Amino acid sequence: MTTTTHTAPTGPAATRALPDGSAQGAPRRRARRPMEAFTAVSYVGASVFGLAAVIPFWMVLAGSLTAESALSQRGYSFWPSPFSTAAYEAIFSGSRVWLAYGATLFITVIGTAMAVAATSGLAWVISRGLPRLSRGLAVFSYIPMLFSGGLVPLYILVTQVLGLRNSLFAVILPLVVAPFLVFVQVSFFRGIPGEILDSARVDGAGELRIFFQIVLPLSKPVLAVIALFYAVTFWNDWFHALLFISDSNIYPLQLVLHNMISNLSMAQDLAGAGAAPLYQIRLAMTVATIGPILLAYPFAQRYFVKGLTLGATKG
Amino acid sequence: MTGATGGDPMTATTGRPTATTGRPTATGQTEPATPAAANRRGVPARRRRGVQWRRKDYGLVILAAPAIVFFLVFAYGPMAGLVVAFQDFNIKDGVFGSPWAGLSNFEFFFTSGQMARILRNTLVLNALFLAATLGAGVLLALMLNEIRGTLLRRGLQSAVFIPYFVSPIVISIFLQAFLAGVGGRGGIVNDALNVFSLPSVSWYTEPGPWPWILTIVKVWQLGGYFSVIFLAAITSIPEEVYEAGVIDGASRAQMAWRITLPLLKPTGAVLLLLGVGRIFYGDFGLIYAIVGDNGILFATTDVIDTYVFRALRTYGDFGTTAAIGLFQSVVGFVLVMIALGVQRRYSKESSIL
Repeated sequence: MTTTTHTAPTGPAATRALPDGSAQGAPRRRARRPMEAFTAVSYVGASVFGLAAVIPFWMVLAGSLTAESALSQRGYSFWPSPFSTAAYEAIFSGSRVWLAYGATLFITVIGTAMAVAATSGLAWVISRGLPRLSRGLAVFSYIPMLFSGGLVPLYILVTQVLGLRNSLFAVILPLVVAPFLVFVQVSFFRGIPGEILDSARVDGAGELRIFFQIVLPLSKPVLAVIALFYAVTFWNDWFHALLFISDSNIYPLQLVLHNMISNLSMAQDLAGAGAAPLYQIRLAMTVATIGPILLAYPFAQRYFVKGLTLGATKG
Repeated sequence: MTGATGGDPMTATTGRPTATTGRPTATGQTEPATPAAANRRGVPARRRRGVQWRRKDYGLVILAAPAIVFFLVFAYGPMAGLVVAFQDFNIKDGVFGSPWAGLSNFEFFFTSGQMARILRNTLVLNALFLAATLGAGVLLALMLNEIRGTLLRRGLQSAVFIPYFVSPIVISIFLQAFLAGVGGRGGIVNDALNVFSLPSVSWYTEPGPWPWILTIVKVWQLGGYFSVIFLAAITSIPEEVYEAGVIDGASRAQMAWRITLPLLKPTGAVLLLLGVGRIFYGDFGLIYAIVGDNGILFATTDVIDTYVFRALRTYGDFGTTAAIGLFQSVVGFVLVMIALGVQRRYSKESSIL
């Protein structure tokens, strides 16, 4: 994904970066001729892919509203009939889901805040183009993309050295800086006109003041972009939770869902006492997990595209 | 952007950039004290006007510090932690107290008989994933680029991008509905097979088709993501090129094939390069979420990462798993370097770093 961002470390050729990845262009260069076969194929192909991308979401939603009796026969459902909200009633009346939402929200909010702060600071220093410091830091941040210590040392580090087992910070900390997003932000920062900074400097502003009072307010678009990327990463993480969290009271949503795949008793557990619609609960839990992301998606999507564009087409 | 777990023996050197910080001007190259590598921009390494640190420049250090600490601890720390690969590690004695074991951890893995299968799976699956997702991304970008209605185009672009945002766990549940039904009965694919009076397949006990199933899942997940990147590259192609094409009487298909596609090469090359660097890592999240501990499928789906995870969880064997991790990182690194070299050679303008 980081396409050409790495040119970021190189240079003072800074100024050409567009302020906010504005490359999502309108359709253009249309020759006015009758539709060709290729164009027709494209309409069909893109539509098929588009449908395929969305259908599973619909199925899970429909399934979660289909009565267990019908669901357990076919295993899926395209239309919620007979309609039933039993699963949602079951999961939301227990405390498990709320605890899981709490854990996930904590991870996402705190994690994103920490990540955005750390990433912006580093990206700003890299983007300053200071001869030794900036380039050194760029390489320093780039190496982890190429070479990693892997699972075992991380596990030992978090559990033995830092003693973070069963702490939500064990999920947050390993994900706090994503090198890719550092470079996305660097390429944005380079587009900030130097004159503004110079004038502030002439007025005697220090580096911190420049950063907080001038750079950050100018950078709202890119801050939104990287905050969203981080938020999704934190929301979706289950691997670190699986590794480091065994206390089921602080299981994040993804981990609850994961455990439901491997054993249905987890679903029973969610529902509390009584005969529960287990398969339906599994789907309802899936909807509960992806719901917030899907709700935010229409608003957030253009920022993601911007972020990718910023990371991909520069340089 | 998952991987924040990197590392390398550079820990000792990394303190340096911070120490030499306070360059006040964006141009001056100074500090003869550290003749470090940073001097590629052609500024002679001569002191300009003495090294004065202005107090406010320390601000830069403060800004970068959290991320630097992060990298030191969570990226470079684990790299140093790879010494475990040469130890007979046990929790009680820790990294510093455990006895050395030479290369026996490596021996264990390489002679375990599992290695051939795991390496093969890792390479085959990743090669399939990489080729299929990049191919799908390019194709989808070309197709989306043909669509004229802004609304339709926007809508489709949003739709194909959605799968990127769901977690592997959710994908795994989607897949169950298709292959086995939520309760292990039915499933859409089998129902479809039955319509054509073909027998149902018990997918989760049949290792053969899984490389393809996983590839399809991967394309579903990442095809739209890559298409967004390629579309961005397409939009930056200058208009005139296409006008020239129109004048020469090229069809849309010819323009896509002969103009757009070649111009996407640099973007594709970079994505490919990054993919090659990750080729030894499998896709732990996705594969483990889908296959889990279903041993029947290991024959075709067990990759280095899933193997390491299981070995760690079931045997608590730190030494061997770290050895595998080290092997993985080193081979991955070498592959990137080779790919980088090859790419430098063939396309100057789009090389990394």
